[in-house]
Amino acid sequence: MTQTVDFGGETLHLHPWGALYREAADQLLVSDLHLGKISHFRKHGAAVPLKATARNFERLDDLLDEFQPESIAFLGDLFHSYRNREWDDFAAWVKTCGTRLILIEGNHDILGPLPFEKLGIQVCATLQSGPFTYTHHPLQDFEGYNIAGHIHPAVRLTGEGRQSLRVPCFHFRNRQLILPAFGAFTGSHLMKIRSGDRIYALAGDAIFPLEAASLKNS
Amino acid sequence: MAERSKNDIWISKATDWFGNQGWTPFAFQRQTWSAFLNNKNGLLNAPTGSGKTYALWFPILLEYLRKEEERPGSSSSGLKAVWITPLRALSEEIRQSAERIISDLGIPFTVGIRTGDTSQAERARQRKKMPDLLITTPESLQLLLASKGYARIFGKCFAVVVDEWHELLGSKRGVQMELALSRLKGVSPGMKIWGISATIGNLEQAREVLLGPGSEALENSILIRANLNKRITVRSILPETMDTFPWRGHLGLHLLDSVMEVLRSSQTTLIFTNTRSQCEIWFQKLLERYPELAGEIAMHHGSINKDTRLWVEQAIRNNRLKAVVCTSSLDLGVDFAPVERVIQIGGPKGVARFLQRAGRSGHRPGEESLIYFLPTHAIELIEASALKKTVKGEGIEDRIPYLNSFDVLVQYLTTLAVSDGFFPEQIFMEVQGTFCYQAMTRDQWEWLLKFLVLGSQSLNTYDEYKKVEVLEDGRFKVTNRGVAMRHRFQIGTIVGDADLTVRYQKGGYIGTVEEWFASQLQSGDVFTFAGRNLEFLRIREMQVLVRKSNKKTSRVPSWMGGRLTLSAQMSELLRQELYSASLPASDQSEEIRSLKQLFDRQRQESIVPGPEDFLIETFKTSDGYHHIFYPFEGRFVHEALASLLSYRISLLSPITFSLAYNDYGFELLSDRELDMQMVLDNDLFSPEYLMDDLQKSLNSTEMARRKFRDIAVISGLVFSGYPKKGIKLKHLQSSSQLLFEVFRDYEPDNLLFQQAFRETFEHQLEEGRLRLALERIQSQKHIWKSCTKPTPFSFPIITDRLREKLSSEKLADRIRRMTQKLSR
Repeated sequence: MTQTVDFGGETLHLHPWGALYREAADQLLVSDLHLGKISHFRKHGAAVPLKATARNFERLDDLLDEFQPESIAFLGDLFHSYRNREWDDFAAWVKTCGTRLILIEGNHDILGPLPFEKLGIQVCATLQSGPFTYTHHPLQDFEGYNIAGHIHPAVRLTGEGRQSLRVPCFHFRNRQLILPAFGAFTGSHLMKIRSGDRIYALAGDAIFPLEAASLKNS
Repeated sequence: MAERSKNDIWISKATDWFGNQGWTPFAFQRQTWSAFLNNKNGLLNAPTGSGKTYALWFPILLEYLRKEEERPGSSSSGLKAVWITPLRALSEEIRQSAERIISDLGIPFTVGIRTGDTSQAERARQRKKMPDLLITTPESLQLLLASKGYARIFGKCFAVVVDEWHELLGSKRGVQMELALSRLKGVSPGMKIWGISATIGNLEQAREVLLGPGSEALENSILIRANLNKRITVRSILPETMDTFPWRGHLGLHLLDSVMEVLRSSQTTLIFTNTRSQCEIWFQKLLERYPELAGEIAMHHGSINKDTRLWVEQAIRNNRLKAVVCTSSLDLGVDFAPVERVIQIGGPKGVARFLQRAGRSGHRPGEESLIYFLPTHAIELIEASALKKTVKGEGIEDRIPYLNSFDVLVQYLTTLAVSDGFFPEQIFMEVQGTFCYQAMTRDQWEWLLKFLVLGSQSLNTYDEYKKVEVLEDGRFKVTNRGVAMRHRFQIGTIVGDADLTVRYQKGGYIGTVEEWFASQLQSGDVFTFAGRNLEFLRIREMQVLVRKSNKKTSRVPSWMGGRLTLSAQMSELLRQELYSASLPASDQSEEIRSLKQLFDRQRQESIVPGPEDFLIETFKTSDGYHHIFYPFEGRFVHEALASLLSYRISLLSPITFSLAYNDYGFELLSDRELDMQMVLDNDLFSPEYLMDDLQKSLNSTEMARRKFRDIAVISGLVFSGYPKKGIKLKHLQSSSQLLFEVFRDYEPDNLLFQQAFRETFEHQLEEGRLRLALERIQSQKHIWKSCTKPTPFSFPIITDRLREKLSSEKLADRIRRMTQKLSR
């Protein structure tokens, strides 16, 4: 179940797992996978379950089946650390995915462009595509529309009976869209909501549009 | 007989020394000397300030003299005895008493202290040449076990004393101690082990935990009770009229003037509060109302920097302070002769703690201890009345030891692997000999070893997991220096939330606050801390930077760790007191009489329950639908009951609850009204399938998640960094929340993950107590009152903001409803 939203004069499909599909460009956008993070922890003696590393690839494959995009753009923090075994998993996945791949470099991508380019991935600092500028860090001043990652946005919902919930979200403000983190072992950051913001909250296999007015500003 | 008279010669040395000070030894001191010299292990039950240090330092030194006389010059240099104290603040005093005897008896001994405060240089000196007597903490002892050649350090050590054992017993630090002792027994067979404990309900068990169930050490041991029979008088501080007495509000400030009267009548008064934030507020308000107290009162709690605390302690001894507002930080050790009065603000929640605090006053033998109890809200008066009864009779609670704390064991095994490595067969025997791990199975042990070496249970050669390796000779060893370094940093982090240090921007350490408090602050916010108003500037590298401010503020940091609960014994007393509400006034205590107005008010819409009644109240407010249950069983039981009941209700239809509890009852708050008749008809209080349902309820709440945080830190799954040393390892930091979810989704059978569920209710709360509570509820008459507004009994519960939630609804459904309601 996806939500469609008009942004920058295009129709975007927001997926509950945190991916975005751009119809006009036939392109899938995902941000902040942080691949390799689990192996990095294990290498340093913290026994995070190894099985969890498979989820990112399973989900990417499912999304490829669903949207059949011409390309995938990763909005940074694709690989969390130095090379480790998850890099090999990633390289194997790249070979089988059958899709053109683009990486907008993020602050965690410390490997440099070379290893990615060897796999045939296009690497750039920012990318102009239609009305949109893709970046990892959200831009401060810009023309047109900006789609970015880095923040791992989340919101807190409150309800009667002193209920409250924290959920990751897509966050639209004016001409800027920040994608949620796609990775399996990543945290989130509570956004300060302003009036006029548009929020799409992720809830397992469902996604919900929220009015800024309904959110507790925390 | 010859042996006995020989010991008498040695004991007379101690008696003479006492005589020279103008003292006479207590019976318990003589008994301890004699038992120790007869090579017994033991547990000494003696209160603070009773001379317990002399009870054990003396025989240790006498044993040395005896050995020297038997075979002069036979004692080699190096460590002879270790004294463990849970509070490093106490180590200086323990050293002084040892040195006094040493110099008077002319023994060529050195005494050393090794705690978190000991300098690097001093540690290095000690490593080269250990002092003869070492005073240290459980954590520093673990660190010694993490250093190479520890077996040689302890090889000639013939005695270990664990001070304040009751403090350690019910905690994971106690488990750490059990493990360390199991190893020390291994490297120095025949080492004598002694514990010192204040009075608790399960002293016999305390001895068993200290020495190991079924062990030779336990067989050859003794329990000595000091029985000093101190007279304790309790007085309640009551307002003149009850009209304005608050229904809730746990500060008690309305009685500020009455407190001042007590201060005036006494030389030095200790004012005990239950939380650090309450301590801060009381200190501030006293100064505001009575500015003349400036310079004469001080504050003491665990988050204030050490130098200030030491200064305060010294000032009490020197008789320079009129009053000290403090928390449990002054519960232990440190003898303060000038203290004449003690005031307890709010329910102390436990008899042992209350008695210990009362004992802080009137320290001289034969003197009476006088403690004032200041109730902070009306219902606490019932507690006051119950406490008065306890000090006359028995009813002291147990400290419940942990079982199968795999997190502590993982930490311990890594510690041994970091120093000299270990052979599993040998260590398995030792570990299984402890109380905590007596029921550990072979399978569980094998699981732990695999976890340490492989980081999982499946053999995956492709994996890069690195921690403990198995060497060719079968030794389990950490060879990676980074792993070893991080582990040493992590040892002893058996604590709650991450602490941030509070500093002035221009330098100057003030104390620590918990991370979650700091994260709420915005630049420019003013808060009260350590008695000062501070303006928050920013957080930098685990430090909260502040500057002084003149602005007034009501914001005070609070610390999550501070919640206490009533013991089973106390709960029983409390119920008895409450039932007396229906007796004629002449048969009631002064406190219960003074609550007449409140009881009248309660009866307008509801009832004051008697022994046969189980009261349930329901009403609606702007918060939602309140459903309140009153078992009067103490907070821990209510936590479990709330979880159990809400889970059982949620099985009937999807629903989300916010749960709150105090010592009297619990609340299920929801956005919908419950069909209470259905709850009553379905027999949801049945003790059948109790533990099973309780465990299942945990999947719907976040309690296990919070438990898991500590487990993840202790077992080294989460690395917290080491801010004090300026070491940040940000790339290795993750939240335990994230980790919890990964385990839940991918490795739910992990023993450490499961431990979180087990510990949530198992510890502190025996299954038996819960079962008894349910059986009692089942046998009672259930009285359901549908009220139009909150009743006095319900008030403290419904206004509690520290809540748990339980939901059987799908996430998507909950969000859908929240958004519908709010965007309407």
